[in-house]
Amino acid sequence: MNDVAVSVEHLAKRFRMYHEQNNTLKSAVMRGKKSVHEDFWALKDVSFEVPRGSTFGLIGRNGSGKSTLLKCLAKILYPDQGRIQVHGRQASLLEVGSGFHPELSGRENVFLNGSILGMTKKEVTRKFDEIVSFAGVGDFIDQPVKNYSSGMYVRLGFSVAVAGTPDVLVVDEVLAVGDATFQKRCRTKFREMREEGRTVILVSHSLSTVRDMCDQVAWLDAGQLRGAGDATPVIEAYNATV
Amino acid sequence: MTYLNELMSSRELLANLTAREVKGKYRRTVFGQLWSLINPLATMLIYTIVYSFIFRARLEVGDPSGLNIYPLWLMCGLLPWIFARNVINSGMTSIVANGSLIKKVYFPRMALPIAAVGSFGFTWLVEMGVLLIALAIAGSNFWIYLPVIVGTMLLLAMFSCGVGLVLAIVNVHFRDMQHLVGIALQMWMYLSPIIYPISLVEDAANKAGHPWILTLYRLNPIERFSTVFRNLMYDNRLPEWGDLLACLVWACASLAIGYGVFSRNEKKLAELL
Repeated sequence: MNDVAVSVEHLAKRFRMYHEQNNTLKSAVMRGKKSVHEDFWALKDVSFEVPRGSTFGLIGRNGSGKSTLLKCLAKILYPDQGRIQVHGRQASLLEVGSGFHPELSGRENVFLNGSILGMTKKEVTRKFDEIVSFAGVGDFIDQPVKNYSSGMYVRLGFSVAVAGTPDVLVVDEVLAVGDATFQKRCRTKFREMREEGRTVILVSHSLSTVRDMCDQVAWLDAGQLRGAGDATPVIEAYNATV
Repeated sequence: MTYLNELMSSRELLANLTAREVKGKYRRTVFGQLWSLINPLATMLIYTIVYSFIFRARLEVGDPSGLNIYPLWLMCGLLPWIFARNVINSGMTSIVANGSLIKKVYFPRMALPIAAVGSFGFTWLVEMGVLLIALAIAGSNFWIYLPVIVGTMLLLAMFSCGVGLVLAIVNVHFRDMQHLVGIALQMWMYLSPIIYPISLVEDAANKAGHPWILTLYRLNPIERFSTVFRNLMYDNRLPEWGDLLACLVWACASLAIGYGVFSRNEKKLAELL
């Protein structure tokens, strides 16, 4: 119980592929209640455990179900079968700067984004200086974020997300966007989080990133789990198939 | 009930989303928040000219206040209606409009339509404040009814919130809804005694020998709300208990249905958008 941060049990997610979808009133009335669809199982009976304090990578080909799994972990999609248990506070970062309003200043957006990510105003106020210095936006903090460079935008979004000090952080390919300095800073941050006993779950297409950062890996193929466990053997096995 | 707890714990998110709407709406405009006052004033001017001067609509004398001013009478019904209409409209589109947010972050989705209630509620509060000042200058003595006025405002907010919640879900499935509702809202306004007094309907129904028309007409919840608001603010008397009770029932029923429909469908939203 204490050494498992996230446990995924027999997870399955189905998508309906509509041949003829009723999304206008006319088509619903004309065709009656029936819409024609096929089931597509994006995830089939996936079970694994993420140990506490690990950096956990999800690897697999395009369309293997990595993003679906990540979205299930982030509670955006709901599994059709099985369940996910998260021990501790969870935050997810599928996109940096979600909910940023372009006309509002960086400062206003930090508070807005913080509350979207589940932080209280007190928490954001306490960590505000830390957020701004980690993002490195300096005096731009009172400018509308639409004037930010894309790097500044991403850095500010990332800083807010990690400032929440979640026990479990779920990250999509966001690291690919920043420059080298920022990527290095992210890695340092993830290492710090691991030392504090926090768990990071990430998806990346770059195997070198995964090899570099993750100590545990799960390999998905066509919605099924092909292997999970220590990083090196699983990555080797995956590499053998590519 | 767990969902309700979650919604309660995201109070700050609600406050921030509301602030985002309020602040973002008039950014980079010269008049800023003043626009939210200019809009109803312009509407008031148009209706006053058309109905009071051109059509010579019958003036309603406030009983017992003795007020006899069409624009003030109009605004007592029009401001609540504009609020309800805006909440229903933007509550309905809030989910589709924030699709990218819903697909990327988890939070109680109900916060989005409720933030629409908050941001228009803020505008409405200011408008009602200005109207009450104007009424006080004109000699209306509504002060002892102020708690009832605030209570009725709350009930109207609950009612329109519930309608918005249901339509938000329907609109995700059928995008036709937002266009249909635009027309329906326009018809709804003319089916409610907002720019004309209900006595016109009563006279016409009696003259035609079909008094049941009035009964049917009074099934409209907005009719009850505007009657109550006018009783309190323009006439300065307590509304009939039946009217107040009808407002209460409509508000609770609408909110309960809206909450039920929304929370049952919420989990599928990210997939459907």
